[in-house]
Amino acid sequence: MKLNTTQRIGLLAGVFGLIVPFFLNIAGLSEAGHVALGIFFLAAAFWMFEPFPIYATSVLVIFLQVLLLSKEGLIFTSSDSSYSPDSYTAFIGTLANPIIILFLGGFVLAEAAVKYNLDKNLTRILLKPFGSKPKFILLGLMVVTGILSAFMSNTATTAMMMTVILPIVARLENNDPLKIGLALSIPFAANIGGIATPIGTPPNAVVIGALSQQGINIPFGEWMILATPLVLVALFFVWILLLGMFKPKTDSVQIDMSGSFNTTKNAWLLYIAFGLTVLFWITESFHGIKSAIIALIPVVFLTLTGVVTKEDIRKLPWEVLWLVAGGISLGISMKSTGLAEWIVGSIEWNTFGSITLLVVFSGVAILMSNFLSNTVTATLLIPLAVSLATSGVAGEGFNLIIVSLVIGMSASMAMMLPISTPPNAIAMSTGAIETKQMAKAGISVGIFGLVLVILYAIFYWPLFLN
Amino acid sequence: MDHQIYILVIEDELEVMDALVKDLEEFEQKFPVESANNAEEAEQVVQGIANSGDEVGLILCDHVLPGKNGVDFLISMESNQLFTDSRKVLVTGQAGLEDTIEAINKAHLDHYIAKPWKKEGFQKVVVDQLTSFVIKKGYNPLEFMSVLNSIRLAEALRGSQLTDH
Repeated sequence: MKLNTTQRIGLLAGVFGLIVPFFLNIAGLSEAGHVALGIFFLAAAFWMFEPFPIYATSVLVIFLQVLLLSKEGLIFTSSDSSYSPDSYTAFIGTLANPIIILFLGGFVLAEAAVKYNLDKNLTRILLKPFGSKPKFILLGLMVVTGILSAFMSNTATTAMMMTVILPIVARLENNDPLKIGLALSIPFAANIGGIATPIGTPPNAVVIGALSQQGINIPFGEWMILATPLVLVALFFVWILLLGMFKPKTDSVQIDMSGSFNTTKNAWLLYIAFGLTVLFWITESFHGIKSAIIALIPVVFLTLTGVVTKEDIRKLPWEVLWLVAGGISLGISMKSTGLAEWIVGSIEWNTFGSITLLVVFSGVAILMSNFLSNTVTATLLIPLAVSLATSGVAGEGFNLIIVSLVIGMSASMAMMLPISTPPNAIAMSTGAIETKQMAKAGISVGIFGLVLVILYAIFYWPLFLN
Repeated sequence: MDHQIYILVIEDELEVMDALVKDLEEFEQKFPVESANNAEEAEQVVQGIANSGDEVGLILCDHVLPGKNGVDFLISMESNQLFTDSRKVLVTGQAGLEDTIEAINKAHLDHYIAKPWKKEGFQKVVVDQLTSFVIKKGYNPLEFMSVLNSIRLAEALRGSQLTDH
């Protein structure tokens, strides 16, 4: 393993950050809080500079907390007035947190959908009504990408949609700006579409996981009610933006997607499992069965029937589950050691208005996740926002759920650079776009995203949350 | 990529070699081209490539060569496990039916280009073969999207359990 300079700096900063708090005596912070601060420094440095893969850092975070902060660990074997240590099961238990199980269900469905070509066939059907005019084709591609990425990973959706648009791009004349518009529309729509459901993209999981630790359950359908209107407006904006920036020259585009639905028994079983699961998820508010429990339906049903095999299970993106679990686990000790409260307490928050605070959190989230993983961004920011809201130092108007949603959704609005998200990287690699074109469009989306999220936070979400 | 993927051309006639190398120019940046005038020289070249930890992605080989013929060379490459995955293409006007059958059966020949070739068709074969090589080896398709068959690479990406992070 060879580390470059940035990674070496990150490694040093992380190790240093872990050790230093042991030798400090910070007023107002418990002894355990010092340890938690060290772990937080290490996690932040490793996640930001990536001397190790981010999922590896996540497991390390869980391990360090078990070792240094749990009741069974090396330091805090009994409770005292300043800290009552959690059992180690609280930390490793995050790997089976309800939000992780919800994602597992989503992964199994998505895996099976790709295996039986459901994603491509749905695309074929859904694109039909959009005709052959370039601007409507662009809209159609974005809508389909948005819908799919709400249920599959943004990245897998982008890869699939690339197989749809690349033949179109290849047939267009060389200087037709539509090429660029098409190549940008897919990753942008995928990034945005992921916001629409709890399982759309991991930052949503971070939000839901953090809120559930505060005893707040956001049902699947309610998340969609909160998020989907925002997604639709953002998609519409991107459509107008791309049409304006890259005005199509051609007046007709043909999409040749041939194929037919797989009608084998296994494929039918998948369609039924997919339909039922999504139906039960969306209607959670009516029947009250938690979405994580419903997520077991596809896992059980598809493995019992052999639609999903041992090989398929091995291929699931387990590292994403580790990543989210590591973040949730970090939140546990930041809260129980009083670290989060201390960080929050050290700043005079009430000099800011609650709207200013939301704008700051949104802006920081968008900025950070342009350079870092979206999940890491949400993981690092949400514990602060949560303690800010629960401690009450930011004033009455600062709502816990709203600030969490602002951070989670802002993290998905970052799409300025090829490194901002994996979908951006895929689109970039096709060679159809230049970095400056992506940056120009991505900055516009980032700014619009910030304004949009704040408007929803002020005017729309409070209608449902009070 | 932490190593190079080479295109190897074996051809004894100078003008033909020049023409082949010229048609490969567009790939040079991503896939360096090595040439050899006969099978023995080619064996040294591949040895050198293997020694530096690099790979041969595609072998374009004439059949009638001084010394060992092209089909026999391809068979020897097929049986060397370092080069079993290298895509093997005969570029020839003179391989008889029997030689060709032997190349297919024993060297698992991937493609046959008859001389004289057309630039477009030739480049398409090169793109397809290198795409197959990259996918078979499981290399990150993103690195090759702009040079090779992006649709097949995107299809390969789709099956590879990509995730957000």
